[in-house]
Amino acid sequence: MTNWLLGAFAFVGNRTVSGLQGMGRAWGLFLGATASIRNVDVWLPHLLPQMARVGVASVPIALFIATFTGIVMSLQASYTLTGAIPVYFVGTLVGKTMILELGPVLTALTLAGRVGANISAELGTMRVTEQVDALETLAYDPLAYLVVPRVFAAVFMFPIVVLLAIGIGIASGWFTALQLLDMSSPEFVKGLRLFFEPWDVWFAVIKSVSFGAVVTGVGCYFGLQTERGAEGVGRSATRTVVVASMLILCLDAFWATVLL
Amino acid sequence: MERRREALVGLVVMLGVAVGVVGTIWLQGGLRRDMRELRAASQNVGQLVAGAAVKFRGVSVGHVDAVNVAPDGEAVLVHLSVEPDLVLPADAAVLLAPESMFGDWQAEILSRADFELFSFLDYPEEGVLPAAALPDFSRLTATADQIARRLTTISERFEVAFTEETALNLKNAIDNIGAVSDGLSEIITQQAARFEDLSEGVNASAAELGAAARQARLSFERVDSIIANTQVEGMLGDAGVTMSNLRELTESMNASLGDLRSAAQRADTTFARLDELLAAVESGDGSLGRLLGDPTLAEGAAEAVQELRALLVDIQENPRRYLSFSIF
Amino acid sequence: MSIYLTEVHKAFGPKEVLKGFSMSIEDGETAAIVGPSGIGKSVLLKHVVGLLRPDAGSVVVDGVSVPELDRKGLDRLRRRIGYVFQFAALFDSMSIAENVGMGLRRIPGWDRRRIEDRVEDCLALVELAGMGDRYPAELSGGQRKRAGLARAIAPEPKFLLYDEPTTGLDPVTTSAIDRLILRMRDELGVTGLVVTHDMTSAFRVADRIALLHDGRARFSGTPAEVKAASDPVLKGFVEGDPDLYYRDGRRREGMHAGGQDHGA
Repeated sequence: MTNWLLGAFAFVGNRTVSGLQGMGRAWGLFLGATASIRNVDVWLPHLLPQMARVGVASVPIALFIATFTGIVMSLQASYTLTGAIPVYFVGTLVGKTMILELGPVLTALTLAGRVGANISAELGTMRVTEQVDALETLAYDPLAYLVVPRVFAAVFMFPIVVLLAIGIGIASGWFTALQLLDMSSPEFVKGLRLFFEPWDVWFAVIKSVSFGAVVTGVGCYFGLQTERGAEGVGRSATRTVVVASMLILCLDAFWATVLL
Repeated sequence: MERRREALVGLVVMLGVAVGVVGTIWLQGGLRRDMRELRAASQNVGQLVAGAAVKFRGVSVGHVDAVNVAPDGEAVLVHLSVEPDLVLPADAAVLLAPESMFGDWQAEILSRADFELFSFLDYPEEGVLPAAALPDFSRLTATADQIARRLTTISERFEVAFTEETALNLKNAIDNIGAVSDGLSEIITQQAARFEDLSEGVNASAAELGAAARQARLSFERVDSIIANTQVEGMLGDAGVTMSNLRELTESMNASLGDLRSAAQRADTTFARLDELLAAVESGDGSLGRLLGDPTLAEGAAEAVQELRALLVDIQENPRRYLSFSIF
Repeated sequence: MSIYLTEVHKAFGPKEVLKGFSMSIEDGETAAIVGPSGIGKSVLLKHVVGLLRPDAGSVVVDGVSVPELDRKGLDRLRRRIGYVFQFAALFDSMSIAENVGMGLRRIPGWDRRRIEDRVEDCLALVELAGMGDRYPAELSGGQRKRAGLARAIAPEPKFLLYDEPTTGLDPVTTSAIDRLILRMRDELGVTGLVVTHDMTSAFRVADRIALLHDGRARFSGTPAEVKAASDPVLKGFVEGDPDLYYRDGRRREGMHAGGQDHGA
């Protein structure tokens, strides 16, 4: 019994300490990466390739998801809004949810898997094969060389991908409303415009910027923390996806309370 | 390779930015073109707020920029942005009225001569259009007007579509109109009992409305058998009677309710037109033979009924909105 | 142009790897640190380039104390140090030529042409001429090691650190690498530090050999002195005799039952 209690306390204590350690290391990475931003000559040449990898390559999957989200939103909105509520509220619902929530969050969650795990595995492999050390010995700051271009690329490209996703999501919702719900374009557009605020778009952009930073930051963090070979790489990738997804949802709630 | 990647990134970035910017502008309701600024002065503006639509002959031609009290405190100035190439009537005036049953208001630019009964405010400044807000009572007028428009649509549909099914639907619809008008007359009777000041004219018209409704229902009670015997002519004849009754009703409403006049006039025309159409159909010149299954006819009728119902409910709930003219 | 390690302590969590290691490598000398795998030899090397900081003790390279250097100072120092990694640590995403040119691109004033020429020279030096367009995955283990060596020597370093340069290579490639290490010392005057468990190679390339045992330099001397030494642990390691090497017997059980105890 005592042993059991001791074990439980030890477990909690151990977890607390390692959690705080992790936070400390993450903070250290953040400070280091921030300081590394001034090594512009190191990271700038890698920004564009990373933008292509993080952003451009993510467009198809983001659009795929947005398309189906739009369709589902449209159908479910019309299913929900029966009776007294005018049918053009389907447009309102599709537009509002795509811009405010589903566009940024679903895209970010997908990219947490696609981009975050990719970065984590890549950096993890570089770490365990000493490529990160090799960078250091060749007088490259690994944070400037590896972390900064990835985070910056995501910060630039996530909003772009999200805007495209929102556009496609609304378009597919619109198409669905026209084809399957017997709505007319003017009705849908009326609903779309009804409660639209330009601020909504800024909200989506701000959110996606933060999601981009989180997904790539977490990927870099776990990637660079990787230990013990291939198994460690796998573990880092998994952790990246889990932690990045959780942080995305927390941030989502945070922005909703702060900005709305 | 490098070039291609650069181009791809550039393309995606531009696409994304374009979607964001164009989408935002489009969702906001288009670029604010060089709009023409108009000002109008009214005693009050009802529930008109900035952003409300500006209509001209039913077409949306701009929006309300701002609503503020005039410096002298004697009027409300409404700033309108309208399309630059809009040609206004010489005696342009602005009528502020509800846009729909949802309670959002609009500013309608119209020719003052057509709406003499409204008390447009003449503001002592060059370039300020006279405006009037529909008084509360006039909601009835406005709504009746809308119903009349709906009926017009119905009557137009008559030309292209008349099937047994639509006849049945129409019968149901008119049945409903009968029920509704019964309700209406009941309410008006109640109101009359409650408020002694209510003019006799209203009483009379309510009675006639009731009579007309009963007549309408009587006529259409037989529709089922008529359709079964394909005695459409007979039914149409009855419908004709109903229509003329309705016309009489509106005429009497015309006489008794001055403020309802314009709406009733329009309703009158509508009914007259319906009457003509029925007559044409009866005489065989119409397109009865085509028997098109156009559901919009029944839908239109149903919508008219719905609006009548809504009106009724509204009258029941807020009688003062409609009847305050004679009571307070 | 010398490396001084004094009383270096380093622990990873509860695991003490270095417990006061001291060694000095003089200018132009090539020294070898030997010891079995996993004993902390690479950890030592990483202290020299500042990849790791000692918990206690001092690491002085070329007259500067490495642990006290800031990022800029470290970068300056690292430009003078070439590091040959155990598994080459070539960047997978770059061609061999790009890999070799990586360090050169950090040197101010070097243009494309000059970098390309230098890369060619270095590849020729490690007998990989014409392989510059290949990617690391397309090379054999020995070729990769040589490419890693080319990358380390490209910026003309004053110091070269070799982490297991011959491990896992066939004897012919091993002696080719050893020859390269000697060439670096003899032709370029590079100060070298080789970490290996390959005694043949150590005897071939090193002016001095130190045995890392239990976190300290158990023995340090010329190859001749090593061969002549009577220390059982050193002897055990050099001759590859576990009974001698694990003389305290702690790790012998189950490995060589009934073996002779060489303990004191």
